[in-house]
Amino acid sequence: MAFLQIAHLEKSFGTTRVVRDFDLSIEKGEFVSLLGPSGCGKTTVLRMVAGFETPSSGAIAIDGRDVIALRPNQRHIGMVFQAYALFPNLTVAENVAFGLKVKRMPADLRAARVREMLALIGLPDLGNRYPFQLSGGQQQRVALARALAIKPHVLLLDEPLSALDARIRVSLRAQIREIQRELQITTIFVTHDQEEALSISDRVVVMNGGVAEQVGTPFEIYNRPATRFVAQFVGTLNLIEADVIAPATGTVRIGTTEVSLGRPLPAGRVTLACRPEAVSLGAAEGRPLLLWAEIGKVEFLGAVIRLRAQAGRTALSLDMFNRPDTPPPAAGDRVQVSISPADLLVLEA
Amino acid sequence: MGSPRFWSWAALVAGVLYFFLPLAGMFEFSLRARRGEYSLQAYANVLGDPQFRDTFLYSVVAALFTIVLGVLIVAPTAFWVRLKLPRLRPVIEFITLLPLVIPPIVIVFGYIRLYNTSSWLPLTGTAAGTNLLLVFGYATLALPYMYRAVDTGLRSIDIATLTEAAQGMGAGWFTIITRLILPNILSSLLSGAFLTFAIVIGEYVFAALLNRPAFGPYMVWMGGNKAYEPAALAVIAFGITWVCMGVIQLAARLGRHNRVQR
Amino acid sequence: MTDATLAEPVAPAPVAPAPVAAESPAPRPRRTAALALKWLGVAPFMIFALLFLILPTIHIVLGAFQTPEGAFTLRNLAGLAVPQVVRPFMLSIRLSLLTAGLGCLIGLILAAAVTRGGLPGWIRDAMLTFSGVASNFAGVPLAFAFIATLGRLGLVTVVLKEVFGINLAATGFNLISFAGLTLTYLYFQIPLMILIITPALDGLKREWREAAEILGASGAQYWRMVALPVLWPSLLGTFALLFANSFGAVATAMALTGSSLSIVPIILFAQIRGDVLQDPHLGYAIAFGMIVITGIANLVYIVLRSRAEKWVR
Repeated sequence: MAFLQIAHLEKSFGTTRVVRDFDLSIEKGEFVSLLGPSGCGKTTVLRMVAGFETPSSGAIAIDGRDVIALRPNQRHIGMVFQAYALFPNLTVAENVAFGLKVKRMPADLRAARVREMLALIGLPDLGNRYPFQLSGGQQQRVALARALAIKPHVLLLDEPLSALDARIRVSLRAQIREIQRELQITTIFVTHDQEEALSISDRVVVMNGGVAEQVGTPFEIYNRPATRFVAQFVGTLNLIEADVIAPATGTVRIGTTEVSLGRPLPAGRVTLACRPEAVSLGAAEGRPLLLWAEIGKVEFLGAVIRLRAQAGRTALSLDMFNRPDTPPPAAGDRVQVSISPADLLVLEA
Repeated sequence: MGSPRFWSWAALVAGVLYFFLPLAGMFEFSLRARRGEYSLQAYANVLGDPQFRDTFLYSVVAALFTIVLGVLIVAPTAFWVRLKLPRLRPVIEFITLLPLVIPPIVIVFGYIRLYNTSSWLPLTGTAAGTNLLLVFGYATLALPYMYRAVDTGLRSIDIATLTEAAQGMGAGWFTIITRLILPNILSSLLSGAFLTFAIVIGEYVFAALLNRPAFGPYMVWMGGNKAYEPAALAVIAFGITWVCMGVIQLAARLGRHNRVQR
Repeated sequence: MTDATLAEPVAPAPVAPAPVAAESPAPRPRRTAALALKWLGVAPFMIFALLFLILPTIHIVLGAFQTPEGAFTLRNLAGLAVPQVVRPFMLSIRLSLLTAGLGCLIGLILAAAVTRGGLPGWIRDAMLTFSGVASNFAGVPLAFAFIATLGRLGLVTVVLKEVFGINLAATGFNLISFAGLTLTYLYFQIPLMILIITPALDGLKREWREAAEILGASGAQYWRMVALPVLWPSLLGTFALLFANSFGAVATAMALTGSSLSIVPIILFAQIRGDVLQDPHLGYAIAFGMIVITGIANLVYIVLRSRAEKWVR
């Protein structure tokens, strides 16, 4: 049995079902993200695990022990909130020591543990500061130290980065992951930022409308989205309308181009989808789907250049690596682009 | 620990009992004027008393003058300080809080000694002068509430930017004050005004020591000489306070409504 | 500067009387004029405060140190040290400490019950509205209400006697007493506390409570270690305000007890009215004493607050 087991979890507020039949198993030491738009129920799931919300039905077990009936202060869970959850009247050291003091740990052990935690988050000298004297990123690191000080069985992170500047967000998420690996602590991370979820997690749960649409590794979520919602929510996606002209061989017509996808398709109209990096400039071996397109915009993103092009009625985004010896096409150029049928996802129409 | 909700209800019930009983007692007592039955006799006695009408009218007029004076002193000052002299704000705020710290009876004692007939400004020498002094005194009492209300109203709008924008479009000061500032702080002004009204209408110490025929001293006189009429007066005073606070709530709600629409 | 009184407190005059051509960018010399005008804007307020708040108070303070002929003396203050002055001061201080303390405590409990206790939302609104009314329902009518309730023929007194057979007077309770006055003062002290502390309670973030809880703290531990320390400055400030509020109150006590209960404001009132102490300057000294007491209360508040708030900018 998994370390953290959530089964058939339901939560309704009044007549609104915010979480529906939610299942999730998390192994010990695993880092799992709940990803979805606001109102998708991800925070409610987290708060039910923490014990702040009582499930309408379903089970939550940690280390084989049912925790539904336990109060939050009995569950032995660490939690980091969105922002500003440090106690403003206590210093950094006192904040970190809070959970230990409440558990009546002797003062000398407590001090040692606080020193250890502050060293872990890389702020060994700020113990005597008050929260208002820290930057937002430092505050969240202290909040992490405070949550970890009690050596919790599970760590819950509720959008801990969303109130921070973009640059700090990236460096802090790397630090969080590093600390999590070092301590081997089972972690649930809630976010609405797909890049964040993909970059940090062992597995990602994409949620929508209270339902887990897909559970998988970042690689699976990105490359093999199970539903149209997942495909569109995670990463950029090109949508191509196509008519199926031979369902058995999977031959479709896009504009005037006909190409076989090599797998059976339903008859009628389908929507094909592909990532910007699956679209290449120019013709190439193994890429039988060739389209003429007019370059609209050229966006320089650093290592990658994103081109916006129009192929008939289809708008395409495509990425090319930025190499000094191959300058990108200019806006208005007519170019040929190619896609491998293997990279095309078929979305239910 | 018990359920927090249980204790909340327990505290609430105790509170309601404490706050409701004197109101019930006051109301019941005011109906007892006729032996053996409940009647509105006490109210009829009060309302039929010419002294009641005179003193009540006097206090209403005093309250209205106080409100006008208070608004004229406080609103331009609060506006001006926010716009031009923000560094002076702590000083002004400190002054407006003084009436909460210095007991009113001390202030009126100072008036009596400072503005007596033999002083440089013998306000207490004439009835008109004393009336004026009373209104100024009431404006002083109302200062903390009035200033707080207006300043809160001003805080919710960015007057510096608004004023600059209006000036940039060629608006004069008259236009800025009447078309821009006033509509925005109207609800705050109303709150301050009705709070002032509630304070002035039943005020006792200033009126008694300055020997003015106001409603407060009349009520005390009634208390010493009648049995049931004081309770009727208390019911009336409570009603007035209630109406004033109701209007304030309404004004606040309207103010919020306006702001949301913007 | 005499114009200042003429320029009544209406809208200040336009900033620049602009003797220069309109297009020219603001020339330097106008700055001093603009500065003077800036200060002219607050002149009406300053003159008002000076005449009707500050000068009268200063006059009292100076009077406390003067003989009737105007010479400096400490005899007035020394004159305070007689039992018929000291006792009222002690009584007033006790009354004010007690009603401020109880007002804060009960007000906090009620405010916490409606904001945090899981009660329906409309109760909170109703309570705040009622508090606005009750905190202003002080003075003479309040005394009447309590007489009509707990007086000799009051509703509660009568009901207790006729329905429950309890004789309130026999239990030692008397409305015209220290206890009666305390009970009456609480009627405006508690609502004032509720009005002031509710926004402060709203300022307690949900995350603090949840963070404390998940770190293993009980509700009581959260209140002791986080909520109360955070509220402490507001509590102190309200206490000082309630203290002054009760210390200076005259009308309620006067209408409730006549002058049978000697608290300081009633003594001063009688002194101003009829010079009962046979020494006009003793009146100054008593008034000065009142200012000193409320001043000390606020000073204590300011010092404690600055110590309690080291964690705020």
